[in-house]
Amino acid sequence: MSENGDRDAGQQIRLRVGGLSKRFGPNLALDGVSLDVRRGEVYGLIGQNGSGKSTLTKVLAGYHVPEPDGTVEIDGTALRMPPRPKELLSAGIAFVHQDLGLLDHMTVMDNICVGNLEASRILRRVQWAREAERARRVLAGLRVDIDPARLAGDLGAEERAIVAIARGLLRLPPSGGLIVLDEATRALPEHSLAEVHRVMREIAHQGGSVVLVSHNLDEVMAVTDRVAVFRDGRVVTAGLETTSTDKRELARMMLGYDVRDDEFHVAGVADDVRPTLSIRSLAGRQIESLDLEVKPGEIVGITGLNGSGFEDLPALLSGAAPSSGHLQIRGRAIPPGKRSIRAMLGAGVVVIPERRERDGLAFDMTVEDNITFPRLHTRGTPWFVGNKWRREEAGWVVDLLDVRPRDPSLLVRQLSGGNQQKVLLGKWLASKPDLMVLHEPTQAVDVGARRDILEAVHSAAQSGVAVVIASAEIGDLAAICHRVIIMRAGRAAALQQRPTRDEILRELHTDAMSDQPTATSNAEEGTA
Amino acid sequence: MNDADTTRELTDPTDVTSTVAGPGRLASSSRPAPSRFSMRLLLERYLLVGVWIALVILLGLTQPDSFLTSTAIQVIFGASAVYVVLGLAAMCTTLVGEIDLAVPFIMGLAATSVPVLVSKMGFSVLAACAVALVLSAVAGLINGLLIVKVGVDAFIVTLASGTILLGLAGGMSHQVPVSGLPPEFSQVAISKFIGLPAFTWYGFILAIVGAYVLAFTPLGRDIAFVGANREVSRLAGIRVDTVRLFAYVLGSLLAGIAGVLLVAQLGGFEASTSGSYLLPTFAVLFLSAAVVRPGRFTPIGLLIAVYFIATGNLGIQLFGYSGWPQQLFYGGSLVAAVTAVHIVRRKSSTF
Repeated sequence: MSENGDRDAGQQIRLRVGGLSKRFGPNLALDGVSLDVRRGEVYGLIGQNGSGKSTLTKVLAGYHVPEPDGTVEIDGTALRMPPRPKELLSAGIAFVHQDLGLLDHMTVMDNICVGNLEASRILRRVQWAREAERARRVLAGLRVDIDPARLAGDLGAEERAIVAIARGLLRLPPSGGLIVLDEATRALPEHSLAEVHRVMREIAHQGGSVVLVSHNLDEVMAVTDRVAVFRDGRVVTAGLETTSTDKRELARMMLGYDVRDDEFHVAGVADDVRPTLSIRSLAGRQIESLDLEVKPGEIVGITGLNGSGFEDLPALLSGAAPSSGHLQIRGRAIPPGKRSIRAMLGAGVVVIPERRERDGLAFDMTVEDNITFPRLHTRGTPWFVGNKWRREEAGWVVDLLDVRPRDPSLLVRQLSGGNQQKVLLGKWLASKPDLMVLHEPTQAVDVGARRDILEAVHSAAQSGVAVVIASAEIGDLAAICHRVIIMRAGRAAALQQRPTRDEILRELHTDAMSDQPTATSNAEEGTA
Repeated sequence: MNDADTTRELTDPTDVTSTVAGPGRLASSSRPAPSRFSMRLLLERYLLVGVWIALVILLGLTQPDSFLTSTAIQVIFGASAVYVVLGLAAMCTTLVGEIDLAVPFIMGLAATSVPVLVSKMGFSVLAACAVALVLSAVAGLINGLLIVKVGVDAFIVTLASGTILLGLAGGMSHQVPVSGLPPEFSQVAISKFIGLPAFTWYGFILAIVGAYVLAFTPLGRDIAFVGANREVSRLAGIRVDTVRLFAYVLGSLLAGIAGVLLVAQLGGFEASTSGSYLLPTFAVLFLSAAVVRPGRFTPIGLLIAVYFIATGNLGIQLFGYSGWPQQLFYGGSLVAAVTAVHIVRRKSSTF
């Protein structure tokens, strides 16, 4: 598709960005960015959080006003900056944002056609039959089989992404246009990606152009023809053929330095030590029964498919959700009725929750306030919180996890996602916990931040903290865990010692087909 | 200038250590902390103070004979003292993300019950004040329990209970102004200290204590976090529901104190006027979130807001108007201040 000579590529250019800059106060978020996207290709924009790729999409969408000297051309015609929604529509550009923007209580047809309804000539009445036909045609064009009458809320993750893409396509001219997917695939589980990727290839095959903004290097390698790599607001490389590169090179270009192998030295754990966490027949929410021991210095991963129960362990261990069964922290039993959040914190258990903005951090408070919050009463006096220890603690976290910008007086909202996650981890690491439970610790963070986070968790374990990681990111589990538990239907289905990524993946999927008794006995063997 | 130059040097992208092998974590490669002092920040925080000073200068130049007098100062500081205490009372709940519309009606009940208890039922003044404060706190406790423990919407509960309290105060006083308090009692509110009435000083002291507690004590930080994100606070071990309940009780108690002081200041009270305190109370409360720390309710911001409004009102009177222009001023300055801060804040972006 992209096998065109340089000369005739000129006519093939759909989007041309030339010397585009965007300044926020003293910072250049975009610094003279230039790139070309051809017709009929999937083009990846990659880079760390805050590298400028989302700023570029926001400039294209007319959300930010760029500096006056840059240009944006569509099919050779200059696009006025900032474009109005109507101008984007007539230029044939559509955006799919990361939250997809679907209305769950409305049908697939409503979602696809919203904002595009055609009224009949005289009565200005919506012709629903025709609308349904249009929706069906777009879906058929993508060769997907989704009933337009279903409610968006009932769809699976990949179907939701596809409906959002279809809505974007409805606005585009046939066999043309440009659709920008701004992290739209990020919430998709790994096994759902293939179908969405097929749809992207289908659009490109029909002559459309797809710009994919993504954190996920695997995805970029799998689906794009060419990529542009962003770093510090500039394009390091534009138009790099995906077939001529590899993940490691891309990561190096994104970070500006080489990533070491994704392996940590996992030290042995002494056998004769009393376990920090010991649970027997723990049950609650979707977990039916779970046995687990975690020793000081040990990192145990727990994973499974959605709904298998692994995602509920953090809530049970934090005391946020009630649980039954035996639970001991450093040999001290905590009976079911006494597992309040305060009791679990008092016992030395901290939980890094999955949803940063909802459960993890107060986004409109400063980094320092957030980091020191859990220890105000223990380190301050009732009449004075104290400023020295708070400054020191915030500085410690900023240094340990390389939080940027290095200014604890910024609001958490002003940081990028990866840096927010570092602040969240640091907030609880500073409590010097005995047991640390992490829930999806690297969700939606870039390669560099992921490395920093895993490194901090690894070194915490080496200093004697027992760690439990509940995550669907099996790459993380393979990188740092001593043991990985795979859950199914609320029970441990398998337990692997130092598994590789592929071993976990195989277990996850083959296990879903095997029958339950075998799986359960396997688990009992493992935990014994 | 010098400062700006170093900032530019550090942000210069050519300076970024792109060739550094290994994790390039030199301090110079990270983005420098943005300077904390800027014109925008000054504007954002003290715009209202600036307008206030301008207003004082304007009135001083145009109406020097009537404005620059101790009477004018008495009017500004004396008559608006009740709004400082009422605003603080309402702030107790807004700080933790709640709202209590019953505040002025609780004040009204307290202000009505003191003279009723003293003149009709023979209570001593001290006992009457104690009963009024207990009644206030109980009203807050009932509101709080309905909202926090039962989970009913705060807006509806406090609107309804405010109306009930208005009715109770009206019934207690048979819909007529009540007075009959011993004259010594009024000294509690109106005796002078360094030229200002005691009521004004109480407001200052409460605001300063409140500001200290919020900024410098663990309790104050907890309150700020509960207001900012309830779930984060709960997961950090804060007893969120207790804090919310406490906010309703404390707010109502403060409203009761405002009522006792107001009836001391005025010498009597008419229950039906309680409602007229509702809009000004919330106007100064929201105006307080447009100064000092924009977006946050602060006691010092409240002081500034109350005295800004009082100065404006006096100015309007000095120019010979009263009534409706004051309402225009209340509403207009609230919208203008909040809009100005919003516009200034929008200019500051994220990283």
